Amino acid sequence: MRAWWPSLRPMLIALGIALAIGAALMLISGSNPLQAYGQIIVGSLGPNGWAATLSLAIPVIGCALAVSLPLRAGLINLGGEGQLVGGGITAVVVGTYFADLPFPLSLILAIGAAALVGAVIGFVPAIMENKLGVPLLISSLLLSYPIVAVTSFLVRFVLLDKGTGLPQTETLPAAFQMPQFGKVTGALFVLIVIIAVVIVIDRMLPAGFEIRMTGLNRKFSGYSGVAVSRMTLWVMAAGGMIAGVTGALVVTAFPFRFVDGALITPAYVWTGLLAAMLARANPVGAVVAAVFFSALQVGGAAMERETFVPRELSSILQAVIIIVLAGAIALNARKKQKVA
Amino acid sequence: MTRPLNGGVTAGRPQSAAPGATTVEMRGISKWYSNGVMANDHVDLVLNPGEIHALVGENGAGKSTLMSILCGLEEPTDGEIRLDGQTVSFSSPVSASEAGIGMVHQEFKLFPSLTVAENVAFRAEPTRLGMFLSRREARERVRELADRYRLGVDPNAKVGQLSVGMLQRVEILKALHRDAQVLILDEPTAVLTPQEVDDLFAVLRELRDAGRTIVVVTHKLREVMAFSDRITVLRDGRSIATLTTSETNPAEVAHHMTGRDVDLDGRYNAGSPAGVALRVDGLFVQNELGVMVVSDANFSVRHGEIVGIAGVAGSGQTELIESIAGLGGHSSGVVELDGTDIHQLSAAERRRKGIAYIPEDRRGVGSAVTASVSDNLAMGFHRRAPLRKGWRLDRAAMKRHSADIIEAFGIRVSHAKVEAGTLSGGNLQKVIVGREMSHDSAVLLVDQPTRGVDIGAIENIHGRLRAYRDRGHAIVLTSAELSELFALADRILVMYGGRVVAEYPRADATEAKIGLAMAGITQQTLTGSEETT
Ligand SMILES: Nc1ncnc2c1ncn2[C@@H]1O[C@H](COP(=O)(O)OP(=O)(O)OP(=O)(O)O)[C@@H](O)[C@H]1O
Ligand SMILES: [Mg+2]
Repeated sequence: MRAWWPSLRPMLIALGIALAIGAALMLISGSNPLQAYGQIIVGSLGPNGWAATLSLAIPVIGCALAVSLPLRAGLINLGGEGQLVGGGITAVVVGTYFADLPFPLSLILAIGAAALVGAVIGFVPAIMENKLGVPLLISSLLLSYPIVAVTSFLVRFVLLDKGTGLPQTETLPAAFQMPQFGKVTGALFVLIVIIAVVIVIDRMLPAGFEIRMTGLNRKFSGYSGVAVSRMTLWVMAAGGMIAGVTGALVVTAFPFRFVDGALITPAYVWTGLLAAMLARANPVGAVVAAVFFSALQVGGAAMERETFVPRELSSILQAVIIIVLAGAIALNARKKQKVA
Repeated sequence: MTRPLNGGVTAGRPQSAAPGATTVEMRGISKWYSNGVMANDHVDLVLNPGEIHALVGENGAGKSTLMSILCGLEEPTDGEIRLDGQTVSFSSPVSASEAGIGMVHQEFKLFPSLTVAENVAFRAEPTRLGMFLSRREARERVRELADRYRLGVDPNAKVGQLSVGMLQRVEILKALHRDAQVLILDEPTAVLTPQEVDDLFAVLRELRDAGRTIVVVTHKLREVMAFSDRITVLRDGRSIATLTTSETNPAEVAHHMTGRDVDLDGRYNAGSPAGVALRVDGLFVQNELGVMVVSDANFSVRHGEIVGIAGVAGSGQTELIESIAGLGGHSSGVVELDGTDIHQLSAAERRRKGIAYIPEDRRGVGSAVTASVSDNLAMGFHRRAPLRKGWRLDRAAMKRHSADIIEAFGIRVSHAKVEAGTLSGGNLQKVIVGREMSHDSAVLLVDQPTRGVDIGAIENIHGRLRAYRDRGHAIVLTSAELSELFALADRILVMYGGRVVAEYPRADATEAKIGLAMAGITQQTLTGSEETT
């Protein structure tokens, strides 16, 4: 437990500072910060808000973990969009062409196929780096564009639901719709399994230890006998797999279809990336940060509805938190540097 | 001339009679690091103008800390610094530099793509009247300084092309350019060849004779005795003694450092070699730039034998060892371990087959400085019992594992959870040596095992290497110190220009023969194509 406290502490301090700055801004513009903050909390976590926060948090957490696992090894997975979209469309394709599959085999197959496709999309840039020397950062990012474009084509021309006039696929058969348990979606349980697996890898497995050491010093890791380039492959594949499953979780939730752009516009990938970076790849920290940013977005909308404070304030808050936090982390790193 | 110091009590350099005659007094200096380590405990240090002052002590005694305080990198928890009687406090290296105190760090902070003059003048341009003027002036001033102190540095040379010894001089020039009256060098000789060491001290003498004060931190008593005027000994963060060099001897200094009698010469005792453990046949190694760094190396090392490799820096020793470990550039040839060819195997597979390796670059390669000591010690052991229990890592076993090595090698660390990077240089080396020697590997490759390590620890590491050999392991050893090779090796190979040019059994080896071979001059030709300069 002690291990994640140090990565959480600067977050809490940054949060305090950011809230103070936000309060100052609101006081200047003549609104009541206590009321506004109250609305953010009630709006995001209260009886009418938590379900919305949860449904946003699920993809954001998934994307955060898809980044945090490779980031632990010092690899930046910028290919989240391609992996997410690739996973989502795969689940829809499975739902369309294997429509007769019974539940739960239907969902298992859809999610499994999405995982596989996500893993391949994560794997490709890694192999390009190993074999051709193309930097992972660039290839993972660039690979997303053709994937998003091909998906868009599939949605608009091949799988289009012609009845609605919108660029979206037909509704998935009932067997491919994630069951609800009251207000809680089954996707949450899938996600909890993923979180648990990532934490177990990170904290308990010899492989997780190697990943962490590689992230801290690649040369040391190679010298110690870790096959670093092979690790790059499977860590990126694992990251892609998580993103792919996340894509499947989104399309198998309401409205149970692939709406073109619906996985991109809410910026799940980038919010998740941010959460993972701020938590310095610590999976627990990444999950906490992902939930927090989701709550802030949902709560910000509620605040706008209930008070006169514009929603942009929650964006400002988010920005301030990030800047303060980045500063705190940089300062921390500098303090630790040994002189001679 | 009186400039205010940033944030501290102000004290200009007084316009005293002899320019640059600054007396430095550090009184009752204490330093607690945030992790609870007390690195300095009421240390007193007095530096007279015009002396070379050696600061010695075991690893972790607090030498670097004390010098970081003097040059403004760290703030003392307690105590005061006086310059010519006036109390000062430095909030940063800039304010220390303005008061005339300069430090040459072990890791140089230079821009490789700029010239010497540009590096020296960086952030201290002589005038603020436009770039051209200051550049030309800087070049002139650098040339003048370099000439005056016979530094032999060309102001127009690109820093990226200079040798380590020259880089160090650029750092010295940087300090002189900022008018440092007190020049601090932390382990300056660790990275130098014997010739470069002599040259460096010639420069330092010149500076001393011009009235400047020099502080040298070093572990090498030979240097201390040869070049210093006075010696201050630290032990466990306290100043134990200040000695006048001409009135003391190495044994006394060593005794002050360790609190016990140290066997300084580390007597060689012969091993009893058995069958061949490692055989290298026709090994060629190319580095990343495609340059052949090892050519046609042929030799073997037997179980229970230490083979030393001598050679001036850059003769291919490090590359040879790296290549045997399965790292480094592209190679061809035969490398056999106990009769099986391992040349095609990866570094990981070679380790599993029985090769352990203590690398030269301890921060870049041998450790993860931001990981804990415990994690650093666990690396390489984490995939087998007892650290691995079933499918997971056993934290308790990890703890025991690190506690055992810390104990056995006398690593000074408050807790195994501290970051390895906060350890003193010598203690970090002990972490690496301890980890690698805890493997039961047939072959141990050792590159510069005691660089920056204190005399007590050298004695300890040498003893352990001999014991490791006597348990039937084969050891390949390189060292910049001939004395180290003579203390350990049962056989000495000499490398020159990437080739093994000579081989001497311990009984036949003399410093003179090896010295000649290191310069490429041999009668005995192993490889058939003798190199001449
Ligand atoms: N930045 C730091 N944070 C915490 N502890 C530190 C830090 N720097 C040094 N220490 C501790 O302070 C003590 C003194 O270290 P210091 O580097 O001054 O020793 P040293 O005499 O220079 O040793 P060496 O000869 O090995 O270089 C050591 O126990 C070290 O672990
Ligand atoms: Mg030191």
